Amino acid sequence: MAEKRFMVQIQNLEKFFGEDRERVHVLKGVSLDIPEGSLYTFLGPSGCGKTTTLRCVAGLERPDGGKISIDGKAVFSAGERVYIPTNKRPIGMVFQSYAIWPHMTVSENVAYPLTIQHRPKAEIKKRVGDVLKIVGLQGLEDRPAPKLSGGQQQRVAFARALINEPKVMLLDEPLSNLDAKLREQMRFEIKALQRRVNITTIYVTHDQGEALAISDQIAVMHGGKLIEIGTPHQLYSRPKRKFTATFLGLTNLIEGKVTELGGDSKSGRMESSKGTLSFIPAPSLAKGQPVVMSIRPEHIEVIKQRPQVSENVLEGTIKEAIFMGDAYHCQIAVGDQLLRVHTHPFLSMNIGEKVYLHLDPQSCNGLPAEDTEGVDESMMGL
Amino acid sequence: MTRFLNSQTLILIGCSLFVVYLAGIPLVMLLYGSIRSAPIGEPGAAYTIQNYVKAYFDREFYLLFWNSLKFALGSCAISFLIGTYLAWINERTNTPFKKLFMVMSLIPFIIPGILSTIAWILLLSPKIGLINLVVMGVFGLESAPFSIYSMGGMVWAEAIHLYPLVFLLMAAAFRNMDTSLEEAALTAGSSTFTTFRRVTLPLMRPAMFSVLLIMFIRSIESFEVPALVGVPARISVFTTKIFLAIHQFPSDFGLAGAYAVTLLAISTAGVLFYQKITRREERYATVTGKGYRPRVIDLGPWKYVTCASAFFIFLLAVIFPVFILIWSSFIPYYGVPSMELLERVTLANYHYILNYPLAITAFKNSFILSVGSATLVMLLTSVIAWITVKSKVPGRAFLDNMTFIPIAMPGIVLGVSLIWVYLTLPIPIYGTMWVLLLAYLTKFMPYGIRAASASMIQINRELEEASFASGGTWLQTFTKVILPLLMPGFVAGWIYISIIALRELSTSILLYSYSSTVLSIMAFDLWEGGQYTYVCALGVLMVLLLVAMAFVARKFGAKIGIAE
Repeated sequence: MAEKRFMVQIQNLEKFFGEDRERVHVLKGVSLDIPEGSLYTFLGPSGCGKTTTLRCVAGLERPDGGKISIDGKAVFSAGERVYIPTNKRPIGMVFQSYAIWPHMTVSENVAYPLTIQHRPKAEIKKRVGDVLKIVGLQGLEDRPAPKLSGGQQQRVAFARALINEPKVMLLDEPLSNLDAKLREQMRFEIKALQRRVNITTIYVTHDQGEALAISDQIAVMHGGKLIEIGTPHQLYSRPKRKFTATFLGLTNLIEGKVTELGGDSKSGRMESSKGTLSFIPAPSLAKGQPVVMSIRPEHIEVIKQRPQVSENVLEGTIKEAIFMGDAYHCQIAVGDQLLRVHTHPFLSMNIGEKVYLHLDPQSCNGLPAEDTEGVDESMMGL
Repeated sequence: MTRFLNSQTLILIGCSLFVVYLAGIPLVMLLYGSIRSAPIGEPGAAYTIQNYVKAYFDREFYLLFWNSLKFALGSCAISFLIGTYLAWINERTNTPFKKLFMVMSLIPFIIPGILSTIAWILLLSPKIGLINLVVMGVFGLESAPFSIYSMGGMVWAEAIHLYPLVFLLMAAAFRNMDTSLEEAALTAGSSTFTTFRRVTLPLMRPAMFSVLLIMFIRSIESFEVPALVGVPARISVFTTKIFLAIHQFPSDFGLAGAYAVTLLAISTAGVLFYQKITRREERYATVTGKGYRPRVIDLGPWKYVTCASAFFIFLLAVIFPVFILIWSSFIPYYGVPSMELLERVTLANYHYILNYPLAITAFKNSFILSVGSATLVMLLTSVIAWITVKSKVPGRAFLDNMTFIPIAMPGIVLGVSLIWVYLTLPIPIYGTMWVLLLAYLTKFMPYGIRAASASMIQINRELEEASFASGGTWLQTFTKVILPLLMPGFVAGWIYISIIALRELSTSILLYSYSSTVLSIMAFDLWEGGQYTYVCALGVLMVLLLVAMAFVARKFGAKIGIAE
């Protein structure tokens, strides 16, 4: 693969809302680089700054500090006093509400970016036809916008964002207004569409399932800061921060203190109220530090008889077991803690039964107990 | 760095400055004028408090104050009773013919104040009043039982003119009330009457109070009834006193200014009080915008009583005045309807009006001013509404207030202020159509900003952001996205403003010249000249023009905006 080229670069972005005493610091030095052609997701709970960051890229918000470049050209720079207004940036945007203009037809909506440039009619007509075909809406050109279903409105919004061949596509929670079933289906469509037109896309969502499903890379944000960047796989199976581990999917946390770190930092041990446990340590972990170990419910193995191995085996009592069809979701008491465990549906789970739990060290992530501020350098540039 | 002087900045700054000019300059000049001994430019002009001394130390002043108060409170009370009663029948009872009442209640809305005043003089004058003559005939009375030329007559004529507004506002209040609040009281075991007293009434109180205040302000500013009825009856109120101070020879601008400042203070106090009330009203959250189905009260046999009473009100408020206007417009000389006169019905009055050169000028002027001011006000206030609702520009609250200030300015006060402005400033438009246009813009700005802001708030922010993200400039976004989406509010505001502009009298009467005569002025002059039948023909034509304009505006709005 050739050298990675960054389409969008954000450096030390700062943003405040409100005035004087009610001033709120919403972006605290956010920096990230978005590779050309990738689908890059900003993920985090509401109020984490993900939408604000996107709106800064769009130029709909004016940051208070930092720099944003698109395709190597600064669109905002506090230092050089550069601010390119939204309508001069090479972007296309799909809004949370879709923002389909109700006084226009489908083709008038889609053609808008071209009509305001006074392009020839024939060209507009052809390109509207092309782009409607891409989003699968051919034949609906003359339908008035209010007569569209939610899914169709969304496709119109995509077509309108795509027609001017922007360098970056910005999607602000585009699926949050759809019902659950359609949302599932649209995930695949967005991913397929993005691959087909191969456009750099920034996707904002608070839904971790959505983020895992469609992203090439995810930037996890919290409290106006970047927490961690990685591929969905990396973030899910090998998180480096406690916040990432708890925000993406379900997990169990066991607290303790680091007693041993392997020379290659590929292994470690901790002392906890449940005994000695082995794990894969996060890079920032040091010996003697407090640690939390994260293990996913599906990575805990339930064994009815005492197993041969003794490493990372805990004894527990089944407190609750709910049959979910594809699995049992159990709560198992180990000492004073309830662990969530997902087991195979064929394994009978009786409440009150004593079982053994095997926590595979390869699936145990040792993470710093206190989430320090910001992203440390070792995590950048994955 | 972006270009500072782009079209967006120019338009936004231009509109803001224009609003400040329209609303601010008349105020400043009025206050200034009231403390000058003579108009600017005249020799010997100096600062003085003589105008106020002359105004306040006149014994007549207190009589004037008392008359104005009696007139305003009386019209306010009667219009409120009639309007609220009809609104209640319409929204909350099962009275038959409700739909018809709705239409009937709104008809007086479109009849200019000067015409309804004339109609009531023709009905209740002691000498020629139709009702008086009929009652005298039927009961064999020696003298007329009613006289329009009294405080009671003035209050009646004004109240009948004002009640449609009460009806509209109270009907909305009844309609928007969350009836589950009443149902909760009923399920808690209280009777219908107790519920009305303990729940409905307290919930309606803020709305009722604000309607009363609006009516009070409206009637203290009113000019038509005081001028046509009050002046011959020698009952002076503030508006007519100001008018006479200017129309006497030589004009006493300073005295008019002092009275105008007093009237302005009263109406400003009313408006401020109104704003305080309505702000508190929001806390009552009875209006949530949800479509409640109002609980309709089954009146039983009483519904025939309410129905009959409503018909009686319409007979008085709509059918009599409209009949007398139409009747008088078709007869050769004014007279009580009779078989003899019916045989002499003629189109001569219409023929006269349509061939009267000044009438053609007046029609043209009124039409241009009405359409022009409605369009300009709505365009201007749409931009202002964007600034106050959508932008984060500092000072937008100030701008919102400036746009709203003229609501507190009675028409006659605005007229006095603008005389001062354009006699003083080196802008040579005094006595032209331009000064009328500026006056109308100032006067109707508050209505425009209300309609425009209410619609602007409804427009989702992302709809305009989508246009920016599509590469649209501010101007493109405003004209192609915001204005079309604003269309329902724009058209509603346009219709309302063009109607009230076409019948505007109290400001125009101080600012017109021969070549800038408008219809209401012409009606006033014809009436003063005793040409009753011509006035009525002119009035009928005016109403037809108003109906046509409202109809066209609605068609046009539906075509370019979103269908409702």
